[in-house]
Amino acid sequence: MTPAPPLFEVRALTKRFGAQAALEDVSLQVAAGEVHALAGENGAGKSTLMAILSGALAPDEGTILWEGRPVVLPDVRAAQALGVSIVHQEPQLVASLSVAENIGLGRLPHRAGPLRLVDARAMRAAARAALDRLGVAVPVDAAVGAIGVAQRQLVAIARALHFGARLIILDEPTSSLSLGEVEALLASLRGLRARGTALVYISHRLEELRAIADRVTVLRDGRVVTTAPMADLSQEALIAAMSGRELAADLQAGPPPSGTEPRLRVRDLARAGRLHAITLDVREGEIVGLAGLMGSGRSRALRTIFGADARDAGTVEVRADEGWRGVRDVAGAIAAGLGLVPEDRRALGLVFTATVGDNIGLRTPPSGRRWGFLRPQVLRAVAEAAVATLRIKTRGIDDPVRTLSGGNQQKVVLGRWLRDTRVLLLDEPTRGVDVSAKAEIHRHLRALAASGMALLVASSEIPELLALCDRILVMRQGRVVGERTRAQATPAEILSLATGATEARAS
Amino acid sequence: MIRTPWWQRLAPLLGLFLLCVVLSLASPHFLTVDNLLNVLRQSAINAILALGQLVVIITAGIDLSIGSVVGLTIVILTLLMRHGVPALPAALVALVVGTLIGLGNGLLLTRLRLPHPFISTLGTLNVARGAALLLAGGVPISGLPPGFREVVAGSLLGVPMPVVIAGLAYLVTHVFLSRTVYGRDLYAIGGNREAARLCGIPVDRRLNLAYALSGASAGLAAIVLAARMNSGFPLAGTGAELDAIAAVIIGGASFFGGVGTVGGTLIGALIIGFLRNGLNLLDVSAFWQMIVIGVVIVVAVWIDVLRQRVGRTA
Repeated sequence: MTPAPPLFEVRALTKRFGAQAALEDVSLQVAAGEVHALAGENGAGKSTLMAILSGALAPDEGTILWEGRPVVLPDVRAAQALGVSIVHQEPQLVASLSVAENIGLGRLPHRAGPLRLVDARAMRAAARAALDRLGVAVPVDAAVGAIGVAQRQLVAIARALHFGARLIILDEPTSSLSLGEVEALLASLRGLRARGTALVYISHRLEELRAIADRVTVLRDGRVVTTAPMADLSQEALIAAMSGRELAADLQAGPPPSGTEPRLRVRDLARAGRLHAITLDVREGEIVGLAGLMGSGRSRALRTIFGADARDAGTVEVRADEGWRGVRDVAGAIAAGLGLVPEDRRALGLVFTATVGDNIGLRTPPSGRRWGFLRPQVLRAVAEAAVATLRIKTRGIDDPVRTLSGGNQQKVVLGRWLRDTRVLLLDEPTRGVDVSAKAEIHRHLRALAASGMALLVASSEIPELLALCDRILVMRQGRVVGERTRAQATPAEILSLATGATEARAS
Repeated sequence: MIRTPWWQRLAPLLGLFLLCVVLSLASPHFLTVDNLLNVLRQSAINAILALGQLVVIITAGIDLSIGSVVGLTIVILTLLMRHGVPALPAALVALVVGTLIGLGNGLLLTRLRLPHPFISTLGTLNVARGAALLLAGGVPISGLPPGFREVVAGSLLGVPMPVVIAGLAYLVTHVFLSRTVYGRDLYAIGGNREAARLCGIPVDRRLNLAYALSGASAGLAAIVLAARMNSGFPLAGTGAELDAIAAVIIGGASFFGGVGTVGGTLIGALIIGFLRNGLNLLDVSAFWQMIVIGVVIVVAVWIDVLRQRVGRTA
């Protein structure tokens, strides 16, 4: 007799976005009562795979099997009907409704009759039953907005159970939980596993994967690197599998720092619960990287240095011609010569209703204004110079910025800071741009550094930082936990510092 | 700040032109100098209010209070004049009061952090109207100095004075929006507030300025209206904010902010003015006029939606 087929299986999945393959030939099996971990760096293809498993995205190639039978998942509802549910990192719940209502939402039990009155008693009972299966006591009548983050996770999982899920995909379920809450959640999940529910578990926290997962599949660059029983894979082997081989040498070549004078001086910058005693220097001509996982405080650190987010303590100073200048708010930061290329160019960087030229001129150089009036000729010249220097592909500076490609839009944001800037802070400068635009942006950043600018670059992609930076600071939970020069750093070591797998040595 | 292609900006102008052609064919009285000047005179007040509204709509905001601010400032203006204050200082006080109320709207938004200007200005709408009725004792204020009406509602070289005043206001606002740092900042704030902030634009100060200007436009409109009516009616301007919003939207500004021009708003105000006038000449009842104007607003915005869809796929 052949062994029973796995509960859920995908074979040879491929998904392309444009020319870029997000997933290639990915196969995965999940058995009933198994916790299957999915590991990989940002951009490895975890999100895409999750979206396909949950029915949110259709694969270009490959098959999906449920209990050995091929199935098609046209949308999330179809996947739910089959028994596959996903619980997102930020549980998608209605804060103003009660726990019971949230668990039942979309399937509220109702009485017969044209009014379809909600049967509140049945609804509460069903909610309690789902929470009981998790072995937790959450008050079913409390508003979801009034309960804690950890309990919201449980409500979202209970909701999946209420919908009859036999396989639950958990996307970073613990990213905003405290250590104690994590333990409690893992205990609940073990209970589910014992009763035959299958779990696909995604987390950056490797110790957590080790604590809960039976098997692990590691993705890198859209491919499966390995699938193995968790116990068979040492921490080092896991990190090596995730981060991959050393980078190609040509990517690493970059000029050495051209100056030794600090340009930016940050001392003990702190924000309660977010940032703790951030202290760093960036020298003239130096590119310093900020590595760290999502939520480690990279973006927060840049925004706080720039004065865009509030701080509780600490100082930020930029060395100008006349000496050190303190920075407290955005206007002061810009006046002192700081610039910020923010994380999300759509939400934070660009005015989409405006032209390329106006977007470049949005940070108006002092020469571009006089007595409150704009000086159009100066601004046009500045914008045209930025388009030429950065080789922004556009028909002209009067083109709407929304017509540009992602890489060129990013260059528009960068183009604001070519003049009158001493220290440039960049948050994920190449997210969502294609490979060639990425290499081009890196070249421009090196050129800016070579001209004497100090650059501080936050990125979730460790290879990018290794290719670009002279030094890399690693952040975890709002602290700088380690520092490596480019010569010292290896991807595996930085990843293990960022995940907390190894404690930082003094450096 | 965005230079829309000429063929896109042409749509409202084309609408206005077609409207005029149809009306001049339909009524022999339409295309006369007297009637056209009359339309301009009648449109002046709405056109002035629309300017203030344009400035806040560009920031992705809205000012519902301007109609009531007209009521309050007209009462203050006429009370002052009846008590012997000369017209010029009284008019200045009206402008300042309008500006201060507008600034108050801005502060409600930027200091108290009320979630949306719809709410803060809805509050002001009620407060200002109540204050106007209290001050006036619920009755119109008359007995204005004779020169006031003759100058402000008179004419200059054959052009009605309200039209001259509105024209100047349009010129100044056009320069303000297209040539100054402040105007450019308002477009940026409306287009992407966070991006504007990260470029060092003092967002709160600029928003205060925008609402103050909107209040000032209400004060200016009150001066013109007081002269035309030769009295201060505490219910003056009731519902005027809606006509002003209609003019701005018909003129191609986006409710989501960042888009809108003084020229478009002028055309929007004129379309409403000509439509009213033409329907009057054709003896269409006021009830039908409301229906027609309602349809025009929806169609104008719908055309805009279609246009943007084309623009996006092109």
